[in-house]
Amino acid sequence: MHQQTIQGGDVRPPASFIRRGGWLLVLAAALMLALAGGAWGETLKVSQANQSLYPEPDFASTPLAKVPVGAAVQVVSRKGDWYQVNYAGSTGWMHRQAFPAAAGPGRFGALPGLLFGQPVKETTSDEVAMAGKGFTPEVEASYRQKHPEANFAQMDKVEAFRVDDAQLQAFVKEGGLTP
Amino acid sequence: MRRGLLLLLPAALLMGGCGGMDVMSVATVAAKGVPKAAQAARPISDSEEYYVGRAVGARILHQYPLSQDQQLTLYVNEVGLAVARKSARPETFRGYHCAVLESPEPNAFACPGGTIFVTRGLIAMCDNEDQLAAALAHEVAHVANKDGVNSISKARWTEVITTMGTEAAKQYGGAAGSLVTLFEGSIDDVFKTIVVNGYSRTAEETADRDAVTTLRKAGYDPQALGQLLGKMLAREKGAAGGIYKTHPPTSERLAKLKAEAGGAAPPKEEEARSQRFKSLKI
Repeated sequence: MHQQTIQGGDVRPPASFIRRGGWLLVLAAALMLALAGGAWGETLKVSQANQSLYPEPDFASTPLAKVPVGAAVQVVSRKGDWYQVNYAGSTGWMHRQAFPAAAGPGRFGALPGLLFGQPVKETTSDEVAMAGKGFTPEVEASYRQKHPEANFAQMDKVEAFRVDDAQLQAFVKEGGLTP
Repeated sequence: MRRGLLLLLPAALLMGGCGGMDVMSVATVAAKGVPKAAQAARPISDSEEYYVGRAVGARILHQYPLSQDQQLTLYVNEVGLAVARKSARPETFRGYHCAVLESPEPNAFACPGGTIFVTRGLIAMCDNEDQLAAALAHEVAHVANKDGVNSISKARWTEVITTMGTEAAKQYGGAAGSLVTLFEGSIDDVFKTIVVNGYSRTAEETADRDAVTTLRKAGYDPQALGQLLGKMLAREKGAAGGIYKTHPPTSERLAKLKAEAGGAAPPKEEEARSQRFKSLKI
């Protein structure tokens, strides 16, 4: 097998590589980067107030830390509307609302979703829907700031409690209930 | 070299172009394109209902400690889900969740969106699983009928709709404060209804009727709600707060319930359910 190497920043694709259809790979890779917003390894600055680092790409998860305006975070990956970032030694997820200047979801419709996973849950994936929604995760975030006494941590715990289908079916069967 | 550069050119163009249309410009266009009248007519969405419910729940959990009894929590969730799946609204935005509050006072709360709280005191009042299922089916009916969010004042909701028009035209700052204030007001409206003042008599009677239907569909005893209500009525003397305020038991309600569920033969295996209920440490 003829091995190809790229040295010293020389990005010229060797002729044999091109002949074997390698240019298709180059284009595909470039397309993937473009669709993803070209975010990997990028440093983004938080420009919106009241932002948090979440353990999961979900506003319902309990925030790991507050991230102030002006903080720089390093992008690790992206999933739908969420960026996985490194911040102050922790890795977590931030919603793209924190970085309004950053690229949007791309101009190729559903393709990014096909390549990198669908936007997380229904909440904020559709900008048009976002514009039409009164009570959003952002409104909740502001409410939480104003009402620290409201016990959202326990509420998260309530919502995290799951009964899987098999367990429920067994419960129904044992109790002679209607399947 | 030139050939290589040509190959990379489209890629560079694509990468450079990925900034694309500004996110908020899309939202702005969308907001301007939607007539206000059309927006004003819309009811609260499932996700909005969910966020209201979360905040109401968080406020309830400020007042009542959440039980850490995993076995009891699992059991209440199993019974709750067994009835919810047979209700008029088997699914909600983020699903139904049941939780136990550590309070000896019998009470139950249905937060918009599907979180249902029952106190340990209410579970202790039940004789068997069917009566607990009856209480939960009644609360599920409040969720299904959106009785919680329906208590948000119409004037406030109209203001939310109006504010959204301006909200969408701005970024996430600016007028956001007014939406937060309206959100706060909505939480107050719902909290007052489900925790302080109780639902309307009509909402209660509809929830009773729906609960009986749900119990029947789920395979629970449809008379169980009447039995539980009868117990509440018997204990009502001297009890002014708690469930007596939020879900007032009246002889009229009881009579309607008996008529609704009357004549039905108790379903099979009631004993098996009672056994697992009795095995709980309440």
